[in-house]
Amino acid sequence: MIRTENLTKVYRMGDAEVYALHDVNLEIQEGEFIAIIGPSGSGKSTLLNMIGCLDTPTSGAVFIDGIDTGKLSENGLAEIRRKKIGFIFQQFNLVHTLNALENVALPMFFAGVRREIRLDRAEELLVNVGLGDRMHHKPPEMSGGQQQRVAIARALSNDPEVVIGDEPTGNVDTETGNTILDILEGLNKEGRTVIVVTHDAEIAARAGRTKRMRDGKVLD
Amino acid sequence: MVIKGVKQIPMIDKFLLAYRSIRERRTRSILTVLGIAVGIAAIVSLMSVGYGMEEAITGELTGMADMISVVPGKITGHAYVELGSFTDRDVKDVQRISGIKDITAMTYDAVEVEYRNKRAPIFVLGGDTKELGGFYVEPVGIKEGRWLRENDFKGCVIGDRVANDFFDEVIHVNDKLIINGEKFIVVGVFEKASTMYAADVDPHIFLTLRASQEVLQTDEVKYIMVRIYDLEEAEGIAEEIEERINDNHGLDDFAMAMTMGSMIEQIGDVFNIIRGVLVGIAAIALVVASIGIMNTMLMSVMERTHEIGVMKAIGAKSSDVLSLFLLESSMVSLVGGMVGCVLGVVAAKVISLGAGTALGIEFGAVVKPEVLLGGMAVAMIVGVLSGFYPARKASRMSPVEAVRYE
Repeated sequence: MIRTENLTKVYRMGDAEVYALHDVNLEIQEGEFIAIIGPSGSGKSTLLNMIGCLDTPTSGAVFIDGIDTGKLSENGLAEIRRKKIGFIFQQFNLVHTLNALENVALPMFFAGVRREIRLDRAEELLVNVGLGDRMHHKPPEMSGGQQQRVAIARALSNDPEVVIGDEPTGNVDTETGNTILDILEGLNKEGRTVIVVTHDAEIAARAGRTKRMRDGKVLD
Repeated sequence: MVIKGVKQIPMIDKFLLAYRSIRERRTRSILTVLGIAVGIAAIVSLMSVGYGMEEAITGELTGMADMISVVPGKITGHAYVELGSFTDRDVKDVQRISGIKDITAMTYDAVEVEYRNKRAPIFVLGGDTKELGGFYVEPVGIKEGRWLRENDFKGCVIGDRVANDFFDEVIHVNDKLIINGEKFIVVGVFEKASTMYAADVDPHIFLTLRASQEVLQTDEVKYIMVRIYDLEEAEGIAEEIEERINDNHGLDDFAMAMTMGSMIEQIGDVFNIIRGVLVGIAAIALVVASIGIMNTMLMSVMERTHEIGVMKAIGAKSSDVLSLFLLESSMVSLVGGMVGCVLGVVAAKVISLGAGTALGIEFGAVVKPEVLLGGMAVAMIVGVLSGFYPARKASRMSPVEAVRYE
């Protein structure tokens, strides 16, 4: 379902070239739960950003459902992000001026879903992550764990096939981490592909497959 | 479950989200609106005060434009040299010129005037009461009492400065003045005259023709005022007046007939300077306003680069994000422009009132619709463009880059 081909990302730091990703070839099957682990700076997040169409590679390609994403227009990429992928950030990245309900409904807003429908669905998603009583709170009024659950609900709002988590438990306590892990596992059981970058050995243990990265390369 | 969306986000939805975003950042939004408003207020107030000044000057000039004043003398350098006086024949000849509506012949001289044992030299002006009244009473106005009647041989009407400035005590109606040894009763006091009439009315005492001839011990006509029908003919009539009187006296340069048009020309330079200053002020206000608006708008959108990144990361098209921010910018700019117009009008009124009081002249700010519209246009154009620029820049970044931006 997702395949990278010699995926390379080079950052320029003055005169030096730093390979964040170096010829990464990775294949992820539909319905898989895959954890990518590795030390900081090994390129895990960069890889996720490429798969999630949030960043463009220096060379190489990402194929999603057989489509070469490098050949897509700006709007084409936006469509993939909107419809196929739900992205969960370590920093949550919620819009602070909007309440939980509106944050969850935002991807549906950009998909042109009618207001009543998107608010109904957002409410349902928040109830599912256990935030039925926090819908009208704004992110600054919520704990890290609550914010991350809002972010998960938001990632699911356009019913994506792929859920990508970049250290989703990195900024929450252990108990919330477990809850989030349960949710991710549940999503995988529903048939979604779940790709997670983590330091968390627990997640790695519960994932169906684990890939290790170092110095921009995926180790076998 | 598959969530179906439409291709386009409904406008009302965008509008609501933009409005919500403005409202939630209340402090930021108010500051941005004020930033724009101050700039627009500067433009509106300065232009309105400027137009007010211009109108104060042109208004009076056009109010007097149908008048020609004729004096028996000429201006050499900066001084007026009197060459004699007019005769009855001069007055009659001038009266016969076609195109003349009213004419009044006056005699005047400076004499000693006494009020409550204080003495001062004051110009006394005498003429036909009806004619004289026709020239001065309506435009200047009587503050106290009434204008002279033909048989008011012992009555006088005084100008504002005579009443208030020339003696220690203020003179009122029914007070007695001794003019060149003769007793007179004040029957009326003029209002303070506006700039163009001030020299003619404020420092003078007005008498009936007979009384002035007695007091001044002369029946010489020293000043003829003419009012004409058609402004276009002013210069022609003025020349004809000069010719006829000069013929009567056998001199080339005896009479000088001044139209208000020629006076306007004389102060035309001053006028051009005022205009130039106005344009300069407007230009400066425009630049200052634009820079201020750009600054506030750029900052308020730039600090939301992260938010733009988040929107893109969850699947917003660049064009959708841009249109959201454009909507927001235009709403803020519109409100800023309106607030600016209101503040500008208020400021203009206050400034013109203060300046008028300080300079002792009367003028009000003139608020022209085109200035208000221009102010709104500046707010909208500069505001929207300077909101658009950083929004476009942010929406062109990759989502990762924009999300990282702090």
